[in-house]
Amino acid sequence: MTSPDGLAEPVGSVSFAAKPARRLARAGLVPVLAGPSPIAASRGLALRVAIAALVAAGLATAAWRLSGETGGTRLALSLVFGALFGLVLQRSRFCFSCQWRDFLVLGDPRGMLGILAALAAGIAGYAVVLGAWMPDPSGTRLAPDAHIGPVGPVLVLAGLAFGTGMALSGSCISAHLYRLGEGSPTAPFALVGTALGFVLGFLTWNPLYLASISDAPVLWLPRHLGYAGTLALSLALLAALAWPLLRRLPTPEPAARSDPLHAVFVARWPVWIGGLAVGAIGTLSYLRVGPLGVTAEIGGRARQAAGSFGLLPERLEGLDTFRGCATAVRDALLTPNGLFVGGLVLASFAAALVAGQFRPALPTSGQVVRGLTGGLLLGWGAMTGLGCSVGTLLSGIMAGAVSGWVFGVAMFAGAAGTLWVGRRMGVLA
Amino acid sequence: MLRPSAFLFAVAAAVLLPVAPAAAQEPAAQPVKEGSTKESPLVSTEWLEKNLDSKKIRIVEVSVEPGVFERGHIPNAQNVSWHTDLVETVSRDIAGPEKFTALARRLGVDRDTTIVLYGDNNNWFAAWGAWVFAQYGLTDNVKLLDGGRKKWEAEKRPLDTRTADVPASTFTAQAPSGKLRARFADVLAVAKKERDEQILDIRSPDEFSGKIIAPAGIQELAIRAGHIPGSVNIPWAKAVNPDGTLKSKEELKALYAAAGIDGSKPIITSCRIGERSSHSWFVLSRILGYDARNYDGSWTEYGNAVGVPVVNLAGTVWGGK
Repeated sequence: MTSPDGLAEPVGSVSFAAKPARRLARAGLVPVLAGPSPIAASRGLALRVAIAALVAAGLATAAWRLSGETGGTRLALSLVFGALFGLVLQRSRFCFSCQWRDFLVLGDPRGMLGILAALAAGIAGYAVVLGAWMPDPSGTRLAPDAHIGPVGPVLVLAGLAFGTGMALSGSCISAHLYRLGEGSPTAPFALVGTALGFVLGFLTWNPLYLASISDAPVLWLPRHLGYAGTLALSLALLAALAWPLLRRLPTPEPAARSDPLHAVFVARWPVWIGGLAVGAIGTLSYLRVGPLGVTAEIGGRARQAAGSFGLLPERLEGLDTFRGCATAVRDALLTPNGLFVGGLVLASFAAALVAGQFRPALPTSGQVVRGLTGGLLLGWGAMTGLGCSVGTLLSGIMAGAVSGWVFGVAMFAGAAGTLWVGRRMGVLA
Repeated sequence: MLRPSAFLFAVAAAVLLPVAPAAAQEPAAQPVKEGSTKESPLVSTEWLEKNLDSKKIRIVEVSVEPGVFERGHIPNAQNVSWHTDLVETVSRDIAGPEKFTALARRLGVDRDTTIVLYGDNNNWFAAWGAWVFAQYGLTDNVKLLDGGRKKWEAEKRPLDTRTADVPASTFTAQAPSGKLRARFADVLAVAKKERDEQILDIRSPDEFSGKIIAPAGIQELAIRAGHIPGSVNIPWAKAVNPDGTLKSKEELKALYAAAGIDGSKPIITSCRIGERSSHSWFVLSRILGYDARNYDGSWTEYGNAVGVPVVNLAGTVWGGK
């Protein structure tokens, strides 16, 4: 089955969502592909648009209310950025795992090019912001709260585990969050697994810290190359990665429909458009709130919960001194990252509803098992790597952190290896 | 063609005209309205906004939260990180003369420059900065922005993300004066009643009584709970109004007098690591003019010391499980 824009749907949603989608289509709720009666279809569409508009209005009202409270600007902005991020992820299917799989299995490089576009846009945006904030990066200081982590074998291990979890569960954490809004049957289990994986990460943190992380250098490219040098090197690296991909581009299909409303709200966006938007949101978010990340809240809450059950070590050595998706214990009900994640899921739900891509389904036992085990690895990798494909990879590379590149290489390697083995064993699609 | 352009001109004039009188007030940037800064160690947000462009003023932000300065600061302000700029990072001490010289030169600060410090968290670390500056002889020319960042933001005054360009100065720091700093031996002498001085402990009542060793989430601890014998407890926040400004001189006098601190005896301020207590040091020393010193060793030094007297009102005793 192919989605409206002709791209194969990801493992996590196609094969499992196909049947219920057809059932919904018969009920007139999914008009896009095979709506039986135009009248029933338009009535269903009106209902879905109305619900989506209500969600959007609710988000806007919440942001407006928050911004009126003292110190609420950051919270309101986090919610708005989260919603925009969710919209972009859902519309462009900005999913590291799916795009990597599309390239490896189907030979379609367009998604990976979209991810490279996100990095290029973000790197340029960060350079503009950082140049103003820290005119001289050569000292001992790091860019304020940018995600620049320690680089060592543990980071590679974290990336490999994260990539494996990604391939097993079908998505990375941010994609599971937007899939949650699409009604994915795997996402809830993957996210529960992620929280458990974080607890596992906290339990293994102290020995790993003492054995390796404490000595691992925190490498920030602008300190050594300056902003111009970092920009040139990073863009050159991205160009080198893009070169072989560009040579494998499929022949462009004739545009199916030129209706702009359809192009924005129903058809999937080309991933490169999503990528440029992610780069822009990443820059704006860094300028006003903080680097993009989706695991701080999950990790922080998991830490709090596990701590209250007495499951955690008394002290997590050095953890809170590192940059990245901080999991420091929450003292407030509403946190910027919590609102960001909430906005992401709700906006994705609204966007999926309008596009006819909200396809809830009952999970199969395979989805439960793959979600939980994959999630466990995602959580362990994101905790140990101090962030996920968004917090460590995207936000790290954009800021000029070597840790972002290392995590990224390990993550894609882990996912490729798992996918290869899984497909040979007939476990993964 | 004429009409639209005339209309545009009218719009432009309407937009620009109201600015003109405001701009007219500013030139000469009110050459540091003497009088208003000479005596008082505080400047108001209103005064600072009028003097943002003065060449004789250096505005310095000392905030606790990283990234706060970069995402928007008072125009022309420069950033000082208390973690790295104002302390030695290996040994536990205030920045040494070499480090302070480099900092002062970078900030373009000289002995006759008016320095306005401000920060987040009710100026805690700005006050701590003022205490460090004072030890290097920069005392009367150092002011705190009354109400700090909180008030400036609440009044919706402008913020800027660009870095201020200031010419470097030639300031050279001498060895820091020890007069404003209390050492462990001084405090112990007071605790043993060998010296007639007063200790003001500004921690929370629960820390003072010994119910808890430190506020939740704090890593730097002491082995014993409680307080230094003879000290009185007035939490630092009592000196502050809800809008973040300091209370009036009379109110402050009454506040401390109620606990027996009236400036007749030398005072030592103390807390957990010596930062919050510099806020009270600033109030006592700079606003009320009392003879006050800050004990930066505070409870993390005293509560870890061996063989010193401790008062524990909560009855907490140390014991193995």
